[in-house]
Amino acid sequence: MDVLGQNRREGLGRKANSRFVLLLMMLVSAVLLLSSLYSAEASVFRKARESVIDAAAPVLEVLARPIAYIQGLVGDVRDYFNVLEQNQALREENAELRQWMNEALHLRETIAVYERLQTYHAPPEATPIDGFVIGESNDAFARSMLVNAGAADGVRRGQAVVDDMGLVGRIVEVGAHASRLLLLTDIQSRVPVYVEEAGVEGILVGRTKARPAIRFTENSDPIPFTPGQRVMTSGSGGTMPRGLAVGVIAGERDGEAIVDLYANYARTRMVRILVYEFPAFEPASALETMAEDVEGGAVESGAIVVGPTGAD
Amino acid sequence: MKAATPTLLGLLGVLLLALPLRLFYGGVPTPILPLVVVFFWSVYAPDFLPSPSIFAIGLLQDFLTGGPLGLWPAVYLFTQYIVLSQRSYFLGREQRVVWLGFAFAAAAASVILWLAMSLLSGVLLPIRGLAFQMATTALVYPVFSGAFSHLHRRVLVES
Repeated sequence: MDVLGQNRREGLGRKANSRFVLLLMMLVSAVLLLSSLYSAEASVFRKARESVIDAAAPVLEVLARPIAYIQGLVGDVRDYFNVLEQNQALREENAELRQWMNEALHLRETIAVYERLQTYHAPPEATPIDGFVIGESNDAFARSMLVNAGAADGVRRGQAVVDDMGLVGRIVEVGAHASRLLLLTDIQSRVPVYVEEAGVEGILVGRTKARPAIRFTENSDPIPFTPGQRVMTSGSGGTMPRGLAVGVIAGERDGEAIVDLYANYARTRMVRILVYEFPAFEPASALETMAEDVEGGAVESGAIVVGPTGAD
Repeated sequence: MKAATPTLLGLLGVLLLALPLRLFYGGVPTPILPLVVVFFWSVYAPDFLPSPSIFAIGLLQDFLTGGPLGLWPAVYLFTQYIVLSQRSYFLGREQRVVWLGFAFAAAAASVILWLAMSLLSGVLLPIRGLAFQMATTALVYPVFSGAFSHLHRRVLVES
């Protein structure tokens, strides 16, 4: 190994020249950094990013396949060592979920009754686009993933991405057949959320740490949240549907709530991109239908009827 | 073609960084292999890895990680700059000394990266994740430098 460095004179003749090129390239990257900073949304940069994603996607997809295969084959090694405990835990969880299922079935029935009321307008449902994670930025300060679904599949910027655990992030760059999703932990990630039970809205802000924080919009009063409460998307801002599960409150720091995400980024492999159209709200027609509903019977009884009586 | 091998290795390192490898279930970050490539060839044979190649490697990394363009080229070129200025010291030294040199270069690169990203995002970012990743890279350096020196002597320079 030591033999390698013995020839001290290699390349000495061109030293001055290469030093100049090096300094020139450093200058170019500095200028590029500044210009991409001040015009990050410029169409040139965006287009370049999106075409690079598109070009790299087939390569990454081919390379990601054996990785997924091996990881699936080996599994979590720890699993082999605590099969019994895991079985026990799963059995307990199963029993608990059975109770939840019964409760959910009961609730579904109740809701169906309410939905039959004339005044009820069901919110539009999100249509999912399924995709695989083919790339990941293993970078300390940039947290994102590449998914093998793009504009050709109907993916648009801003759409929410979920997996079987909960919200994963949102789409920020869209190529023709691949797109980039920004994780909730990225420093640039901002997602409007609300805390269940506490009823407060805030913005989930990424900190490049595993657990993002909620910054509350009204900061004057002490915010009444407690650890363990669920955090859901609020749907403010008009891109993500309301009520996607994000995580649970883990604690408080500097007036911000630290959130334990449901999503486990070390295991995220299959994701679902949600195409969601917010209901177009037309004030005039909405008022008309309200008036019709009131004329159609509710007025006579003196109150708005809640219950199966108003159903068809 | 042989002269392009270090560049291709650097680009391969970038691809590895863009893959969801998740070593030990995400417990260990992917080592920054391009940094090893840049350091190694800057010490032993800078002619095999000219600055435009390093620029291209860094730019591809920026594109694939989604970070600000020009950040990684700047970090890698800065690394090359430091290494070239200390080259006469490194040449002919024991591997352990060069390894230590790499650890210093990685630390310097981390500080620059952290300062730049903190400046760009307007808050002091936590440096722990980056430090862990750089430490991993420094830890695996001997393995790759061994392989690279073998490659360089037997394949690239010979014949």
